[in-house]
Amino acid sequence: MTWQQKILRVNLSTGSCEVEPLNMDWAQAYLGSRGLGSKYLYEEMDPAADALSAENKIIFATGPLTGTMASTSGRYTVITKGPLTGAIACSNSGGKFGGELKNAGYDMLIIEGEAASPVYLHIEDDKVEICDAGDIWGKTVWETEDILAARYGDPLMRFAGIGQAGETLCRYACVVNDKHRAAGRSGVGAVMGAKKIKTIAVRGTVGTRPAEKSIYQRINEINARLDDREGMARDGTLAMMDVTNGFGSLPTRNNRSVRFDGADKLNPEAMHTPNANGHTNIVQNGACFGCTIGCGRICKIDPTHWSVKDRPEYQGASGGLEYETAYALGAACGVDDIDAATFAGFICNEYGMDPISLGGSIAAAMELYDIGAIDDKTTGGIKLDFGNAEAMCQIAELAGKGEGFGADVAMGSKRLCEKYGHPDLSMTVKGQEFAAYDGRAMQGMGLAYATSNRGACHLRADPYGHDFETTEIEGKAKIVAETQRFTAFMDATGLCLFPAGCGWGVEDYQELVDLVCESDWNGAERMEETGERIWNLEKLFNLKAGLGKKDDTLPKRILEEPADVGTAKGLVCRLDEMLPEYYEINGWDAEGVPTGETLQRLGLS
Amino acid sequence: MEVSVTLFGGLRHYLPAGSSFNKCKIDIDAGSSLEALLAKVPVPADKPYMVILNDEKVASDQYADVTIQGDDEVVLLPPIKGG
Repeated sequence: MTWQQKILRVNLSTGSCEVEPLNMDWAQAYLGSRGLGSKYLYEEMDPAADALSAENKIIFATGPLTGTMASTSGRYTVITKGPLTGAIACSNSGGKFGGELKNAGYDMLIIEGEAASPVYLHIEDDKVEICDAGDIWGKTVWETEDILAARYGDPLMRFAGIGQAGETLCRYACVVNDKHRAAGRSGVGAVMGAKKIKTIAVRGTVGTRPAEKSIYQRINEINARLDDREGMARDGTLAMMDVTNGFGSLPTRNNRSVRFDGADKLNPEAMHTPNANGHTNIVQNGACFGCTIGCGRICKIDPTHWSVKDRPEYQGASGGLEYETAYALGAACGVDDIDAATFAGFICNEYGMDPISLGGSIAAAMELYDIGAIDDKTTGGIKLDFGNAEAMCQIAELAGKGEGFGADVAMGSKRLCEKYGHPDLSMTVKGQEFAAYDGRAMQGMGLAYATSNRGACHLRADPYGHDFETTEIEGKAKIVAETQRFTAFMDATGLCLFPAGCGWGVEDYQELVDLVCESDWNGAERMEETGERIWNLEKLFNLKAGLGKKDDTLPKRILEEPADVGTAKGLVCRLDEMLPEYYEINGWDAEGVPTGETLQRLGLS
Repeated sequence: MEVSVTLFGGLRHYLPAGSSFNKCKIDIDAGSSLEALLAKVPVPADKPYMVILNDEKVASDQYADVTIQGDDEVVLLPPIKGG
């Protein structure tokens, strides 16, 4: 059995730390991680509560495969109500923290209430204590981890916490673990900040063991099917830069365009090729716990670059540009300087911010500046022109600290654009910034963004293959609906989504779950139904939070302004034509509400 | 004539020895079709890709109808997802 069958519940208001049994009926219905954590959140809190109030809870949930020997088993999910969106937030991360929490003997950590003064949580198996964080409050993620690592002296202790962005309630603050892996989206770090919990330090020696030794061999056989990993290991997700730019679906300058003329300065070739100083951006690839792919980028900024030449603390190797970061801190802002984008990415890791939402918010601010809605007086003298890499980096640091105009940018682009009178310039869904795909060139992605329960997201559905094949919309509603279910199931396992692009099919995830969960998970029907149940539960949370059909939409620019170049030149996203079919496929009514029949079929009524 | 072909992502693995980072030169007869050019690109038949010709995607059922010029820019993109 690879559920530990135990939950650690910490109440910061009362100071209690209790261990309780995992609800196994729920585990059989929602599996783990994103699914099971969402079930607990849905049952335990009022979705209408303020995300930054003590009524909100924040759950760190592993899956039944987290911490096992299955490849990519380092995943965990942070589930809470998102301060950026007002919707359910299920933010997934890799690294080594998730496996360590599981190995300490817990499927899930539920944090509730709020502390009177800053604290951190220290977990070593069954020893759990809430500790004073007075000396680390105000420190960066990196400083915090170094201080506590030295205090406990255990090199295998893992940390998941916030930087100053979380403390100052940046709406897209993230939870950073292992210094540069993050539960990045929807502002989950701000919930920690509001609860005044700085970090979670965990060390586990309990381990995870399948019921029979023979299962080890069978997991190894499935791991060996991950045989198409070389491209991902060499180029990482950054390989997508050339694909979207070539296709014409790379959001550029706040989605004014779908192709960036500086993409060749941010792509894998730029990352691998020495610059004029002989400096190469990438140092090596990196892998999370148990991963046999290694898509992570470990990079160094040219020490002579203006961003770091007088700041040696940023001259070492750290987590570098993934595709999403290169888009948001590159193309979205019109910046083609790979060192500047890498530096802004370091700032995100250090202060604890989602680079997608930061880049999207800066891009929106650049457009506001471009049209004269804000000026030098607003920005504190920063010339916020598209393409100004130094300005982008300045704003990134200010947003991380919540200072100056950075405090406005830290609200996210929706609140920023509303404040300055141009709400249509926010490229968001449910208040969350777009990922690195334009919904006009990729119509299925447009539908996936609009209907994503956590706001605009590229990882809640898998329309990629069909979108790169055709811009016609026939069939896309079905693809989006079905892959939303599969993705929900895959997230609930405790594994990464990327093996699905490196040799595994969804049936390999299902086989692994069947191996370790000691019950009948062998069959597509249960897998799809579990994913559908999770998707509908998240939808129910959002409906109770006050979101509805009006929120299943896209910015005016994507619906009314045709793409300027590339495969989709002249097209807008045909969301209105896809949405009714999508609702019908899901068994929802015309307002996007699950029907009684659907809820009954899924055990949700 | 020689035509420059760029292979992105995992397709780089199939570049002939001596190629630059992601480009190779393919020698074809003047007036050849895109289909004839692709037949000479050393990517295995079981590896899918889409073709961008001079910044525009070409549908796979059009390969035989498109004539290649010497200054054309041909890019092969693998199907990838996520990020």
